[in-house]
Amino acid sequence: MAKVRITVDGKPIEVEEGAYVLDAARALGIDIPTLCYYPYMTPYAACRICCVEAQDGKGWSRIVTACNYPVWDGLEVYTGTPRVINSRRMNLEMLMASTTPSPVLQQLADQFGITEPRWKIGTEYTCILCGLCVRICDEVVGAHALSFVNRGSYRDVSTPYNLDSDACILCGACAKMCPTGHIKMEEIEKRVINHRELSLGPNAAISLPFRQAVPNVPRIYRENCIHFKTGCCMLCATVCPKECIDFREVDEFEEVDVGAIVLATGFDNFDPTPMKQFGYGKYPNVITSEEFEMMNNAAGPTGGKIVLENGEEPRAIAILHCIGSRDQEYHKYCSRVCCMYALKFAHLVTEKTNAQVYQFYIDIRSFGKGYEEFYQRILDEDVNIIRGKAAEVVPSGFRRGEEGHLLVQCEDTLIGKFREIPVDMVILCTALQARADAKEVARKFNISTGADGWFIEAHPKLAPVSTTTEGVFLAGTCQGPKDIPDTVAQGSAAAAQALKLLCQGEVLMDAAYAAVREEFCSGCRMCNGLCPYNAIEYLDDKRVSFVNAALCKACGTCVAACPSGAIVGRHFTDEQIFAQIEGMLV
Amino acid sequence: MNSHRLTSPAALGQHREQLHSRRDPNRTIITLCAGTGCLACGCEPVAKAFRKAIAENRLEKSVDLKTTGCHGFCERGPLVVIQPQGVFYQRVKPADTKLIMDQTIKGGRLVQKLLYKDPLTGIVIQHEKDIPFYKKQMRLIFGKNGFMDPTSIDDYIVLGGYQSLVRVLSTMQPEQIIAEVKKSGLRGRGGGGFPTGRKWASCRKAKGEPKYVICNADEGDPGAFMDRSLCEGNPHAVLEGMIIGAFAIGCHEGFIYVRNEYPLAVKNLTIAITQAREYGLLGKDILGTGFDFDLDISRGGGAFVCGESTALMASLEGKIGEPRAKYIHTVDAGLWDKPTCLNNVETWANVPLIIEKGADWYAGIGTAGSKGTKVFALTGKVNNTGLVEVPMGITLREILYDIGGGVPGGKRFKAVQTGGPSGGTLIVETSQDTVHDSLVAHGDIREDEEAVSLLDLPVDFDELTKVGSMMGSGGMIVMDQDSCMVDIARYFISFLREESCGKCVPCREGLGVMWNILNNISLGKGKPEDINALEELSQVIIDTSLCQLGGSAPNPVLSTIRYFRQEYMAHVIDKRCPAGVCKELVSHAINETCNGCHACFKSCPTNAIVGEPKKLHCIRQVECIQCGACYQICRYDSIKRVKRGEGEAIQQRASQSWMPAVRKSEPAAVA
Repeated sequence: MAKVRITVDGKPIEVEEGAYVLDAARALGIDIPTLCYYPYMTPYAACRICCVEAQDGKGWSRIVTACNYPVWDGLEVYTGTPRVINSRRMNLEMLMASTTPSPVLQQLADQFGITEPRWKIGTEYTCILCGLCVRICDEVVGAHALSFVNRGSYRDVSTPYNLDSDACILCGACAKMCPTGHIKMEEIEKRVINHRELSLGPNAAISLPFRQAVPNVPRIYRENCIHFKTGCCMLCATVCPKECIDFREVDEFEEVDVGAIVLATGFDNFDPTPMKQFGYGKYPNVITSEEFEMMNNAAGPTGGKIVLENGEEPRAIAILHCIGSRDQEYHKYCSRVCCMYALKFAHLVTEKTNAQVYQFYIDIRSFGKGYEEFYQRILDEDVNIIRGKAAEVVPSGFRRGEEGHLLVQCEDTLIGKFREIPVDMVILCTALQARADAKEVARKFNISTGADGWFIEAHPKLAPVSTTTEGVFLAGTCQGPKDIPDTVAQGSAAAAQALKLLCQGEVLMDAAYAAVREEFCSGCRMCNGLCPYNAIEYLDDKRVSFVNAALCKACGTCVAACPSGAIVGRHFTDEQIFAQIEGMLV
Repeated sequence: MNSHRLTSPAALGQHREQLHSRRDPNRTIITLCAGTGCLACGCEPVAKAFRKAIAENRLEKSVDLKTTGCHGFCERGPLVVIQPQGVFYQRVKPADTKLIMDQTIKGGRLVQKLLYKDPLTGIVIQHEKDIPFYKKQMRLIFGKNGFMDPTSIDDYIVLGGYQSLVRVLSTMQPEQIIAEVKKSGLRGRGGGGFPTGRKWASCRKAKGEPKYVICNADEGDPGAFMDRSLCEGNPHAVLEGMIIGAFAIGCHEGFIYVRNEYPLAVKNLTIAITQAREYGLLGKDILGTGFDFDLDISRGGGAFVCGESTALMASLEGKIGEPRAKYIHTVDAGLWDKPTCLNNVETWANVPLIIEKGADWYAGIGTAGSKGTKVFALTGKVNNTGLVEVPMGITLREILYDIGGGVPGGKRFKAVQTGGPSGGTLIVETSQDTVHDSLVAHGDIREDEEAVSLLDLPVDFDELTKVGSMMGSGGMIVMDQDSCMVDIARYFISFLREESCGKCVPCREGLGVMWNILNNISLGKGKPEDINALEELSQVIIDTSLCQLGGSAPNPVLSTIRYFRQEYMAHVIDKRCPAGVCKELVSHAINETCNGCHACFKSCPTNAIVGEPKKLHCIRQVECIQCGACYQICRYDSIKRVKRGEGEAIQQRASQSWMPAVRKSEPAAVA
């Protein structure tokens, strides 16, 4: 593009044709105040605060707005003439006269030496109608939910017919842009955020997945990203100097040939929201064990401090065992790990705070090596251990007027009495449960799940890491609740099993397996679905079915089913068997 | 529908010949003005009565009734002109139609009571062309209005319509047309006065396709109705101008942006476009020459600011009608960022005329800088309100006195406001001392110099700008001694404050602040520094506004301060409104000249006036709401508007010195 030479306040600069005076001035480090300018949107020139004097050096002179005045060769711009300063000051004064000055105006006013506008029309409005909100919604977000309404003195910013707009995607860009704070985000429904600090809810559209993530790069969360809602925005791509942002990038499917598979899909945390009696989701200081772990993490949101939602240190904490586990309504099994981490929590709380800790348990299951000793140690740390499952958490307080604190009700089965314990915080030791998609995963690998959803191993005692599918192994909690040592042990075992296959380089298999005689196969594919081991696939190019001998267990189902008799069991043939029978009989 | 389609330029000529041969030039035609003014005066029942009378007299074969567009003399509507004689009847009622039928049409005699009688000379005038209102006018654009039915394309063709288009399409090159328009010196009639030829040339040169032409018929000035009357009365002239312009610029699509509040204009334009399409004058392959051009009507929502070209284009695009900075010209990037040529209705209507009669002829009319004629809407305190078309350079005196017939009621003429709400108020009457003092204060003249009356100011673009007003689209509001200049300024600022688009701060907030100050002044709460503040605000608003609405909005304030600073000072310092308009500053009082006619007693809406017939009347000051009804009705000038609080003293003096009066003669009308 062609370059033009202009001067700003006498300083020469060469800028690209089509650029605006403001760009040139800022490049020279000359400050021009603005109220309605945002670099990533078309200049609007509504506030007129950025006005400057344009001259051609031959006597022509005019007040123009720097934000949208295109440069031309020989242009002389003056940003500090009395006429310019007066224009800016008066415009500012007019704005202050008709709005309730917001900090941004007040700050500018101080610069211009205005203490009080000479006139006051008196309105409660803080809006200066700069149009940033309207334009960001229109040009950047692309939702077109906001507009100016009315004209002249009655001009305002609003949604169509002043109603909640369907077009609004709740991105909040308008509120963020608003220089005066006139636009605020409002909670649509009364929503209590659980321990706001710890919220595991939606992230900003671009953020690091978590601290110390590997690789430590931000990612875009499509569900929160404006671009994936409206197709517009892309501001991040505009500002990224390295051009790293690619919106077209999508999840890719890759096919990898492997010799063995270890399933380690883990578990889901039980969501205690349906258990209304514990008030999760209702009382901010009722949190799950996972949230407590996050809070306790030195790299977490509170820097490892144990605090209430209001930032204060709790005076008493209740730890409720068996939430969702050992429960007829939810999961009948024991989650195995909760007892011990609950004891660990108690230890951490007493170490970090002066809070009283109450454990509400059914049985303490400290079965591992050194576990019982740890339990005894906790008992010595003056932790209150109450046998009895907590019945309900209700809002109350230590004293009158302290509503908002919590009261845990339970039956203490050791003393046979009903008790109410006042606490500030309740930690729910939630059950481990199978992943929501466990059944689907199981189907893909042709293995089975139990009634609780955990994957079933080939034999509970003799083959605890193998599955019914050859070459697929299990590791960790996807097979059932277990603690870290057990998980590590099982993982190692699974790895060993997998390596055993891989190191051999070849698979030793039974001599007996089914095979398709391709010349007879009609390609009807009847056998494909019948095979319980997924050993048969259809070869598109040859139009025949093919038995993977490594997977085949020689059950003979396909042999019997093949309508054209194309599949044979590779062992004794029918004729041989008949001959044998004949031999025996004769 | 294609049966009418004219497939070559020659076919249009043949069609005109045919129409001529079919029409008898001596046939009696009753033309009845059906412009909006006459419609409001009740021309529809008159038309009905005429139709009935023609049918009753079985004259369908020899007499035609034609409802035409505006004749301009709205003051006297409904107007009837009997052609071909040109007999002019005014203020015709339905009952008069029988008289006209019997006496004029059948009997060949004139109906005396319906003829126009010059209020100044008392002479009865028979023919339209002899009436002083028309005599000084030069009705080039509006001339055809009285002879044609605006809904008939044939009427227009008979009168020579589309002849210029034929000439352009068959014999001229686009560059030639532009050169012709340039030579004619035609300047935009919308207000800015930009040379039309230059605009066309830059639009033709601009890169980008498609190009657009737009007709701006979004007339928003209070009291102005030139464009309206033209669209209603002669829509084909506008279309012809646009087609010629489109051909010259090289564009194939056009829009007419017209206010939705002008239903008749929308209707007549729609009919005209449909007819032009049927005749092959719009659409594909116009007159078989291969030139394509079509037009659409876009109806505006009544925002004054949409008369501004960029706001109009935004509105056309379906966006909010707000202007953008014109650092990039609309001829380069206008509608949808394409080269766009926007002209006012009147400008377009001038084009066929220039082509028909030649640029030299056109350039011969008017002044050095402003050529041709200009239509003004003459309103306010003037005897003959209506539309007047005058050559550029005519003096204000000629418009106001010779055509307008002067100020009614013997009142003293004070000023005239030109150029719409953002124009300026021109002082014409300089005999007042206060004006002299104001001009001295403004630095226009020295103490010992005499103020020059602007009555003899030639009306053209540059002269008006020089004296602080502007041509605008042609509104002309006459004010007499009873108009308060603060109130006038306040009214116009109030209008502009509401009609500003509200985009930029100086216009939106600045006008609000100005209105507030002016309102305070008229309420008697003004401070001396307010006048300087108004001037200071005006300067910044002019300097920093985004568009010309804001850029010219302070004109009414600046020009009234310039010529009537003393009047402002009276409001601010003496708390007195010299014209007696600002209610908070005025008292009404009856002095000793009252002869007890009792008229005021009956007119008072709050029963504040006490008094018996033939006795001195008195206004109870507490109950008076200063509405001025009594002041308007008093024929003996006995009711005085004085400074607030001084009324009681006058009435007391009157009660002491009052004598049963000898009936005085009516004050004579002052020329």
